[in-house]
Amino acid sequence: MNLRNKLVVYLLFTKGIFVIIFLLTAPFLLERINLYQTDLLLIDKREQIIESIMQNGSEALLSYQEIGNEGSFGIFQQEFFQLKKTDSDSLWNFIEITGRYVDDQWVDYRVLNYAFQINGQTYHLQIGTSLEQIFRTERNLIVITLILLTLFVIFAYVFNAITTRWITLPLEEITSKLKHCKSPDLYDHNPVKTSTSDFRFLDYTISEMMYKLEELFAKEREITANISHELLTPISVVQSKLENMINDTNISEAHVIKVSESLRTLNRLKVIVNSLLLIARVENNQFLKNDTFSIQDLLTEVTDEISPIGEEKGLKIISRYHSDYHLTNANRALMFTLLFNILNNAVKHSNQQIGGIVEVACGMESKSFFVTISDQGQGMPDELASEVFKRFRKKGIQDGHGLGLAIAKSIADFHNMEIHLKTHKGEGTTFRISWPVE
Amino acid sequence: MNVLIVEDEDSLAGEMATFLRNEQYLVEVVHQGKLASEKISVNLYDFILLDLCLPDYEGLQLLHEAREAGNEAAIIILTARGDVSDRIRGLDLGADDYIAKPFSLNELHSRMNAVARRKFGIKGNIIGFGEFSMDLLQKKVFHQNQQVELTKRQFDLLHYLLINKNRALTRMQLYEHIWGNSLDDDYDSNFIDVHIKNLRKKLAQHGPVDWLDTVRGIGYRVSLD
Repeated sequence: MNLRNKLVVYLLFTKGIFVIIFLLTAPFLLERINLYQTDLLLIDKREQIIESIMQNGSEALLSYQEIGNEGSFGIFQQEFFQLKKTDSDSLWNFIEITGRYVDDQWVDYRVLNYAFQINGQTYHLQIGTSLEQIFRTERNLIVITLILLTLFVIFAYVFNAITTRWITLPLEEITSKLKHCKSPDLYDHNPVKTSTSDFRFLDYTISEMMYKLEELFAKEREITANISHELLTPISVVQSKLENMINDTNISEAHVIKVSESLRTLNRLKVIVNSLLLIARVENNQFLKNDTFSIQDLLTEVTDEISPIGEEKGLKIISRYHSDYHLTNANRALMFTLLFNILNNAVKHSNQQIGGIVEVACGMESKSFFVTISDQGQGMPDELASEVFKRFRKKGIQDGHGLGLAIAKSIADFHNMEIHLKTHKGEGTTFRISWPVE
Repeated sequence: MNVLIVEDEDSLAGEMATFLRNEQYLVEVVHQGKLASEKISVNLYDFILLDLCLPDYEGLQLLHEAREAGNEAAIIILTARGDVSDRIRGLDLGADDYIAKPFSLNELHSRMNAVARRKFGIKGNIIGFGEFSMDLLQKKVFHQNQQVELTKRQFDLLHYLLINKNRALTRMQLYEHIWGNSLDDDYDSNFIDVHIKNLRKKLAQHGPVDWLDTVRGIGYRVSLD
């Protein structure tokens, strides 16, 4: 998840938590507030009744509620009050919730119970108010709150998404520049427009680093060129001398054979230097990538090239092309070398017996194109499998100088391709080259 | 043919000169760019073999000057730098071919032949050998008007041996000519043996191939009068 989405989700998450906490506590709080409000009203009414008794005496109020035994109810049974004379001396004052039957209906009331004495007479007063109304108000409040909060969350999400995008846009531009930069010399050094100092610093630092990398690569290229010149010129001199000696009719056959052997040794040195130079050049992006070609055609070409050797060994090279792919922005000559080296390696390590099979396959598999080259040779122990792409690896893995597969690896990397091998001792080896396909 | 070798490495220039003189070329050698520049402007050469790394002169500059002055010699660049951009620049400036050091003298000879044929239209396009003939334009081999079916590699190998006739070619020289010098480290493989074996088999179906010798300890040779 990128930073922008992460920020949006994070901001939404924190708001969500607050909303949930509020929603969980709101009913309780609203109830407390409502009850407190109701209690104040009841107390207020109690004071009015007491004042009325003090001024007018209790008779009117007592006779008023004699109409019903259960006290006098206001219209719609939302409120009631009950005043009784009593002989008891005990006084109390409390508010409780209690239910009553009114018109065959059970109704919850908030009831103020008050016992008081006026002129030596003890009165028992009950004033109640129906909780139905309170609960209804509470429900309405919760519904309104819920709607408002939902709207708030939606608005916050949209607002956050827009502002976060606006704030992180420079960062996205910087990462996009890096994504599209295949090598330091291709980096876009135009500064990203931003008022955020951190991004400005980041952009500037990356740009500076790219300049430094470019400089280092250029130096490395120069060193490679110089070393190659220094090494290859003397080899060239010796090679020419030896070749002229072979062509000299005045020297004996025995000497010619010795010279030829020297030439072979010299050639080994030449191949090592050239292979190392090739790897260095590939790693330094000194090759063009402007060819477009069919992988199947290339595989057929490579297979045709090597099959005479396979046939000589009694091997069969089988091609299984499930589908074709036209590789663009690639270097055909390098890709030829890559596939040639791997197929050659497979043929070289196949059992030298009639009926051996080397399989060359290609096709699509879950959004990537693959080429596999499998042999039925000796395979190798798992611990050595990771060594095969290294330069000058340990002896025992392969004869030769061990640069053929290192070259293959550098070419695969150059084309942003993955190269793996699957092998077990005695079970053959499969090389797999794959790359993502849109 | 007149050849000017511009190469600062004395012994390499010497060996090239020896080899080419044996091939009946008239050879001059210079080790410095300045001297080379003078010689190129005064004399007419058919070939200039030009090393790019000269102590006193930029090889590409020399090439540029020669072409600016209307010099039509076949110019083959010799260099150990092998940088792709150098190569492209060289060819852009009018070089006819490019050969990377270290190269085999036989390979140089083969390239010079190809350039000469292309540039000067000489040496004919048909090479006769034994009872066979090779048509370089069609890239086909015939035995008394009947075509011998050869693969591209077999044709290339035979052609290379024919250009360097009467000279023993080592397996790695042949390998390098066909597959370049950085394809694989497997120079000791029997690639060449297999291809020669198949080539012999195909040719033998039509006529005698006693002119294609295996040279013990070295490689192969086409022996023709």
